[in-house]
Amino acid sequence: MRCGYGLAAVPGSDARFFTLDTSFLRLRRTVNPTRIQFGSFKIKAKIDEARKEMSFYELLGIPETGTLPEIKQAYKQLARKYHPDVSPPDRVEEYTEWFIRVQEAYETLSDPRTRALYDKDLALGIHLAFSTRRRYQYDEELEERSEWRNRWQSQLSELKRRSMNRDAGGNMSWGARMRRQRDEFSKEQ
Amino acid sequence: MAEPAYTVASDSETTGEGKSSSAFPEIAIGIDIGTSQCSVAIWNGSQVELLKNTRNQKLMRSYVTFKDEIPSGGVSNQLSHEHEMLSGAAIFNMKRLIGRVDTDPVVHASKNLPFLVQTLDIGVRPFIAALVNNVWRSTTPEEVLAIFLVELRIMAEIQLKRPIRNVVLSIPVSLSRFQLTRIERACAMAGLHVLRLMPEPTAVALLYAQQQQQMIHDNMGSGSEKIALVFNMGAGYCDVVVTATAGGVSQIKALAGSATGGEDLLQNMMRHLLPNSEKLFSSHSINEIKSMGLLRVATQDAIHKLSFQESVQIDVDLGNGTRICKVVNREEFEEVNQKIFEKCESVTIQCLHDAKVEIDDLTDVIVVGGCSYIPKIRNLVKSVCKREELYKGMNPLEAAVCGAALEGAVASGISDPFGSLDLLTIQATALGIGIRANGNTLVPIIPRNTTMPARKELIFTTVHDSQTDVLIVVYEGEAEKAEDNHLLGYFKIMGIPPAPKGVPEINVCMDIDASNVLRVLAGVILPGSQQPVVPVMEVRMPTVDDGHGWCAEALHRAYGSTLDVVTVQKKI
Repeated sequence: MRCGYGLAAVPGSDARFFTLDTSFLRLRRTVNPTRIQFGSFKIKAKIDEARKEMSFYELLGIPETGTLPEIKQAYKQLARKYHPDVSPPDRVEEYTEWFIRVQEAYETLSDPRTRALYDKDLALGIHLAFSTRRRYQYDEELEERSEWRNRWQSQLSELKRRSMNRDAGGNMSWGARMRRQRDEFSKEQ
Repeated sequence: MAEPAYTVASDSETTGEGKSSSAFPEIAIGIDIGTSQCSVAIWNGSQVELLKNTRNQKLMRSYVTFKDEIPSGGVSNQLSHEHEMLSGAAIFNMKRLIGRVDTDPVVHASKNLPFLVQTLDIGVRPFIAALVNNVWRSTTPEEVLAIFLVELRIMAEIQLKRPIRNVVLSIPVSLSRFQLTRIERACAMAGLHVLRLMPEPTAVALLYAQQQQQMIHDNMGSGSEKIALVFNMGAGYCDVVVTATAGGVSQIKALAGSATGGEDLLQNMMRHLLPNSEKLFSSHSINEIKSMGLLRVATQDAIHKLSFQESVQIDVDLGNGTRICKVVNREEFEEVNQKIFEKCESVTIQCLHDAKVEIDDLTDVIVVGGCSYIPKIRNLVKSVCKREELYKGMNPLEAAVCGAALEGAVASGISDPFGSLDLLTIQATALGIGIRANGNTLVPIIPRNTTMPARKELIFTTVHDSQTDVLIVVYEGEAEKAEDNHLLGYFKIMGIPPAPKGVPEINVCMDIDASNVLRVLAGVILPGSQQPVVPVMEVRMPTVDDGHGWCAEALHRAYGSTLDVVTVQKKI
């Protein structure tokens, strides 16, 4: 068990695939991607490494012109790989992380409305924090009713985010952030 | 299809490694504990096989009789007559009673069962007792279920010649997480480890996925995505799912369920035949129980007959001077139970709506469960789905247990050289989970029909200036008012540094892993800090025990709105 989380001997019992990592609590307006980061640190780092600048399309392994059937097929194929029911017992934790990401990509891209929004973000190069931004629109009905306002607001918030990134992100690269996190993590240990 | 020339050695004694791909891992058995009947099945190496008891039955009555010192259940026990089950000594319907408090309408509806269900209507667990030698001996639904599960386990161990530990249990959709912990507890008492709890219709959906996959292998079907609606109604519950299936992957689009079942049809019918029956049997004396039992058996029998004939003659002497002699026709039965059928209809419509599926997109409509024989049930599903025909490829009484056994094999890491186990169920949550915020509303963090495993977060903030503590109260359910939902637990975040209201960011994150374990995390950050200002809380839910109705009230009395949180408005 490489990562020391190998409780998977009795699958699905106490094999918690999430161990606590407080780095999910980064302020959402600092730098992107601001999103919840659970999972053991090593795994998260490994996935982040791999994910880096991965778009939802890259995650699903389809071209940006991919059709809905292609998206569905890619999703189901990846689900068969990463779903904890079928993943290798010693990689359940890591694969579950992937599964949640793939799910997110699929949910975004299989709905024409969210896909359009995502595509716009992608074109602007600000897609990495896509889901986080949508998260606090908890009221789905409201979301449906005021789609135009969402679009407008998301654009506005992106403009702000970008201007802030210039300030906050300017002096800290993704790698630097990761390194710092790693240091903090090892200190906590 | 030719049978493979070998079988997986199911009697291998390999234990411990569980899901290892080496040697022969233990295959989890599938158990369908019905409100009325139950069954056990296992993947035997080439197909799913239902296990039979010593009397050669595949379907066994779900009940436990308390006699003298040793209780015995419907697996091993030989009933001399149906009436023996109604002598006061037998406890049944435990799946309807488990984990419910005494204010629950389902518990109240159980008060005229022929054993003792006593309520105080204050939100605690009901008192349940069996009549043994003219003594009401108390028990609990967990205990009854555990006794029954032990019998099932022993039956399976004898046949499979190996110890049984891992099980996949099919459960109703509408059970709360609190109820699920009670079922898991009953399993643990019976020495069983729950590998998966699988909502019944999702088990049926998995069987459907396998059948569709099989057709492709046999060059009879197309590989395109198929969308099916599964309607499953037994004695206790009515459940519906919509599944999208392709390549052996069953993706649950939506689930809906209600504690509405054959038991309700039966009780309505009993009330119809003997209008003041509840009053007549309220003291639960031996004679009353006997009369109640006689009426129950006669009514049950009549309902069964009405599935196949237009009218039925009921003639029963209740032994207390009352004799019921009546001809009941099908229309009458349907009229008496109109509300129940309407409920079934609305559950189906809601599920279709949640799945965002047009009825024209449905490839198949599957109706299973004990109530699937009732013409009205079949017709209402057909009419909602605008179908002439229902799916025919399944035994309505065995579909759920077969699906559970398939899941047992898949989740145990078994593979099949013929690809029969290249299957996967992608489950979704049946009920939304959220916290109390914005006054007294439930703000969902993981909405219902969210794919599992899942992780969602939402940011909240304080309502008062310099509010140092916040109370996070976690509920499960769909009602807008927080306290109308199932309380799962609560905890306090303390020691937030003084800040104006609306400034601290309280990040509440919930995750559910593959085995459906819910974890709630909450942390606070203040602008300018990179680290949480207080240690993050990590809580596994549910944490509440009995009397959860009380807890919420007590919290409200003690704290009012002083520890409230609100959602962060969409402004940056």
